[in-house]
Amino acid sequence: MDTVLSVIHWLTNPAHWSGSDGIPTRFVEHIELSGESVLIGAAIALPIGIVLGHFGRFGALAMNVSNVGRAIPSIALLVLAFQIFGLGNVPIIIALTALAIPPMVTNSYVAMREVDPDIKEAARGMGFREPAQIWRVELPLAVPLVMAGIRTSAVQVVATATLAALIAGGGFGRYIIDGFGQQDYTKLVAGGVLVALLALATEAALSGLERVLVPRGIRLLRVPATKQVVFKTA
Amino acid sequence: MNWRARSAFLATVLAFAMTAVACGSSPSSGGAGSTPKGSITLAGFNFTEGSVLAELYGQALEHDGYSVQYKLNLGNREVVSKAIESGSIDLYIGYAATDLEFYNKGAGEATGDAAANTAKLNGHLQSLNLQALNPAAAVDQNAFAMTKANAQKYNATKLSDLAAVGNQLVLGGPPECATRPFCKPGLEQTYGIHFKDFKSLDPDGPLTRAALANNSIQLGLVFSSDGDLNSLGLTVLQDDKHLESADNVVPIIRSAVVTDEVKKVLNAVSAGVTTNDLIDMNNQAGPQHMDPDAVAAAYLQKHNYFS
Repeated sequence: MDTVLSVIHWLTNPAHWSGSDGIPTRFVEHIELSGESVLIGAAIALPIGIVLGHFGRFGALAMNVSNVGRAIPSIALLVLAFQIFGLGNVPIIIALTALAIPPMVTNSYVAMREVDPDIKEAARGMGFREPAQIWRVELPLAVPLVMAGIRTSAVQVVATATLAALIAGGGFGRYIIDGFGQQDYTKLVAGGVLVALLALATEAALSGLERVLVPRGIRLLRVPATKQVVFKTA
Repeated sequence: MNWRARSAFLATVLAFAMTAVACGSSPSSGGAGSTPKGSITLAGFNFTEGSVLAELYGQALEHDGYSVQYKLNLGNREVVSKAIESGSIDLYIGYAATDLEFYNKGAGEATGDAAANTAKLNGHLQSLNLQALNPAAAVDQNAFAMTKANAQKYNATKLSDLAAVGNQLVLGGPPECATRPFCKPGLEQTYGIHFKDFKSLDPDGPLTRAALANNSIQLGLVFSSDGDLNSLGLTVLQDDKHLESADNVVPIIRSAVVTDEVKKVLNAVSAGVTTNDLIDMNNQAGPQHMDPDAVAAAYLQKHNYFS
């Protein structure tokens, strides 16, 4: 109970809400590092997953390569990238991007594969060209799974961005590493709480985005099963 | 998995486990069977300077006719102190302030005076049947380094020069530097340096060096006997108001082993070795990857300990 109280005191202390080590500064740093990593990761992973999923080729290769990526410890990549690129945000973003890619490749590949072949054929029959078929028919149907991949990546990246502090980076990880070094365990726990809250907020925000992006027609498909049956028999 | 595959898998796992156990418990070579006279077991800490110092004092004893068993890289102070208290080693080369604060359990007695630190250390060692001999002039303690370019720009040779320009400087060090009296708070109180910012890095490691090199910090915490500072274009500012406690090199030995002759040999080494000597030797043994025993032998040869 004492720990909880001291953490609450720490978090509500005005001194911790200003300056270069204040919560707002660390929040912006954390969002910047994770946001850039997820965006770069998405720019690499989504086209690969979507195109391979559409053609249904090299799926095993893409999945295996990205799963090997999952097996590489982020901390090893971080330290290695630091040796090459030196101090700054570049090594951090490299390590986090590598972490962000696998779930997005896997999910978007599966999402495109799962699109009903009848629908694809109907689209072709109606005269859709390949790009239009991907963009206007398959992708809208694939959105829920693709977004689930982005969400998984983003939450992982936000939680792992704490490692940045190990190589002198910013973000909420600073409180964890500094709290450990200074034997200030209140600070350490407060840092952990902030990271957890940010990860949950990320999850919630991306769920909201998903709701906006999923076309209305597909949302109708997700109504309770009894009604769906009525739909199909009608 | 079928039965055969599974048993093969289990056998492999078991083999690994047994290898790991075997590696973990290599039989300790018995150092206890040393003869009362003439044989001394000497331990070194688990960093380069620890090996250099152990070889330095050890070879001086060997030259005098003692048989010396080396246990280099034995561990940190927690391990080495246990070993000497239990009598499995006879001697290690410690540091006056750090060892004082270790044996007094962090009571904060250490000052900038090496002789006083050693005297107080001896007070704590007595009940353990240990004693500290004369401290050397060589010091390995916290120091603050700047790039030579910045030192020129701010016209700084000593820490008190920085009081006027502190608001332009970012200090870098391990996270605990922000709260420990020997570091940022000490620089503020003793020297009146109020930094623009503080950056959490590492204790005298690659992050601090990288941050100094790209000027994201202007002053960094290092150790005074680091061998690579000069080649990195770094200069240590003089601690002219004695913020840091004097961490002079000092041999710590079991009272059961110490004789006048042993004392004489060890004190003679301590009387000669300076911080610059230590920097040179650390540079050869560290960045230049020479063997610590060769480095120590060359030093003793050059300074006529072998004649």
